[in-house]
Order: sequence, then structure tokens, then C-alpha cells
Amino acid sequence: MKKKKGSYVILSLVCLVLGFLVAFSYHLTQKTDNREISNRQWERDMDLRNELIAQEERNRELQKELNNKQEKVVEIEEQLSQEEQVFFNLAEDAERYRIFLGKVKVKGPGVTVTLRDGQYNPNETNINNYIVHEHHVFSVINELYISGAAAIAVNGQRLSHNSYIVCNGPVIEVDGYPHPAPFEITAIGDPEVLSSALDLIGGVKDRLVNENIDFKLEKKQEIVLDPLLGT
Amino acid sequence: MWLPVLGLIIGVLLGFLTDFSIPVEYSDYLSIAILAALDTLFGGIRAHLQNIYDEKVFVSGFFFNILLAASLAFLGVHLGVDLYLAAVFAFGVRLFQNIAVIRRILITKWSAKE
Repeated sequence: MKKKKGSYVILSLVCLVLGFLVAFSYHLTQKTDNREISNRQWERDMDLRNELIAQEERNRELQKELNNKQEKVVEIEEQLSQEEQVFFNLAEDAERYRIFLGKVKVKGPGVTVTLRDGQYNPNETNINNYIVHEHHVFSVINELYISGAAAIAVNGQRLSHNSYIVCNGPVIEVDGYPHPAPFEITAIGDPEVLSSALDLIGGVKDRLVNENIDFKLEKKQEIVLDPLLGT
Repeated sequence: MWLPVLGLIIGVLLGFLTDFSIPVEYSDYLSIAILAALDTLFGGIRAHLQNIYDEKVFVSGFFFNILLAASLAFLGVHLGVDLYLAAVFAFGVRLFQNIAVIRRILITKWSAKE
């Protein structure tokens, strides 16, 4: 009886192990079936992965293209900036030429030269010897242009590249407009250079003073010259 | 008498409730082990019916066969030879033989009773 009971215990142990194994294996097979579904998922995963890889390759291509384009853009920009420099220079030139042509208002430091007829001298019989002639005005203007004046005006009238000055009896005509003495010649440029050019020994000032003309030179910090009318 | 059945039920429940999973490549070992266990069980039943049943032989055979089958499959996997097929074959043949013997004994007993 005792022996039989023991055999039952052992038999039940064996049955337990067997049941466990069978159940566990069944359980696992069920899971393996699940895994097969996940195999399909894996295939889908693979497809998606391939798609992703393709997309990334495409991305890389596009990125390369973008880089190339950007390099091109940089090149074009450099070119543009060079062109801009050229345009800037051109604009500066145009500005300067406009100043020379009297087409724009000019503002800057400069000098003012005033030529006045000499004082009446009873010893001098010829009145021409102490009044201002147009060649005096010419010499002053030429001297100013030579020493780098950007713009010159006579009694407030701007001179341009084709201005003319003629002597017309007691007055001089600048581009057809008569101007009486005294003549105020205004020039924009470096005041130091302009004044020292006029002050040269044996230069314009000396000659004019020798010819009994009242010559007055003033340096000015700011002179404004209006543009010529009708140009 | 009900103790082995109770053990079987508890085992099945345990097997279903166990939630840990083993990798797929090891499920072969498990099936081999089950085959070995079944073989030993039927062998035990046959021995019992033939009155040559020995408890020690039965219990040691049960566990030893399971281990042997599993290790054979393990060796097979590592050698690249499907050795578990040998175990499946051997146990399958023995399983059929055992069941056939049991059937004959039962039939003989049944006809003798009648």
C-alpha cells in the first residue's frame, strides 16, 4: 500500500512534468503562429525600410543638387557684387561728371575769389588798366580747374563744360547772362590746394594785383552751388 | 488514483500560465523532450501491463530520455547535422511499437475477460 502510494506520487510528478511540457510547447506554438504574423509584419517592415532607404538616397541626391545650386548662387552673387562694384564706380563717375556738367546741386568746402575793379587812379589815363577784364576771370577759373575744382560758379551762375565768357562793354556775359563787376568766383574743391594754387608767387594773384585789380581770396567750409537751369 | 490526473492538470495549467518565451530555435528541443516524455510514459504503461514495471527504471528513463533527446538536438544544431531527426525517428518508432504492444495486451485482456 505504501509502495503503491509512493508510485502514485512519482507518477503524478511525471504527469506534471509531461503536462507542463505539452502545455508549454502548445503555448509556444501559438506564439510561433503569432510570430508568423509578425513575419508578414517583418516583410512589411522590410518594404518600408527599403522605401526609406530609397527616400534617403533621393534626399541625398537632392541635397547634392542643392549644394551645387548653392555654389552656383554664391558664384552668381560674387559676380553680382563685382558688377555692383562696377556699377558703383560708374555711378560715382556719373556723379562726378554731373558735377562737372552742372546738372546737380553741389555742396562742399571751397574758396571764393572776389575780383573788384581797382580804385580810381588819377595818374592813370587809360581806364582799361584798372578794371576787370574777362581774361582775368578766365585765368582765375582756369587756375581753379587746373588745381582740381569740382564745380565753379561766377556770381552764382554755374559753369558747365561748354560755358562761354565774353566781354560785353562794362559787363561780362556768362552763357548769355550779363554780370557786372565785382565778380565773385566760387569754386568747390580742397580749399588749401585751391588757395595755394592761386597764391603762387608770380601766379594768378600776383598778376592780377599787378594789373591793379582788387583780389580777395576766402576759404569757406561749406559752399552750395545750385544746378544750371535748363540743362 | 486521482493524484496523477491532478498532477497532469496542474502541469498543464503551469505550462499555460508560464509566460516566459524561449527563442524559436530552441523550440525543437522542447518538441524532442515532449516526444521523449511520451515515449517513456507509454513504455512505462506497457511495462506495467506486462508486469515488468520498475519504478526506478521508469523515472530515470523519463528524465534521462528527455535530457538525452534535448542534448542530442543541441549537438545536432551545433554540428550542423539534423541529429534531432534521429531522436524523432527513434522515439517515434518506439512510441508506435509501445502503443501497438499496449493495444495487443489490452485486446488480449479484453477477449480473455469475455
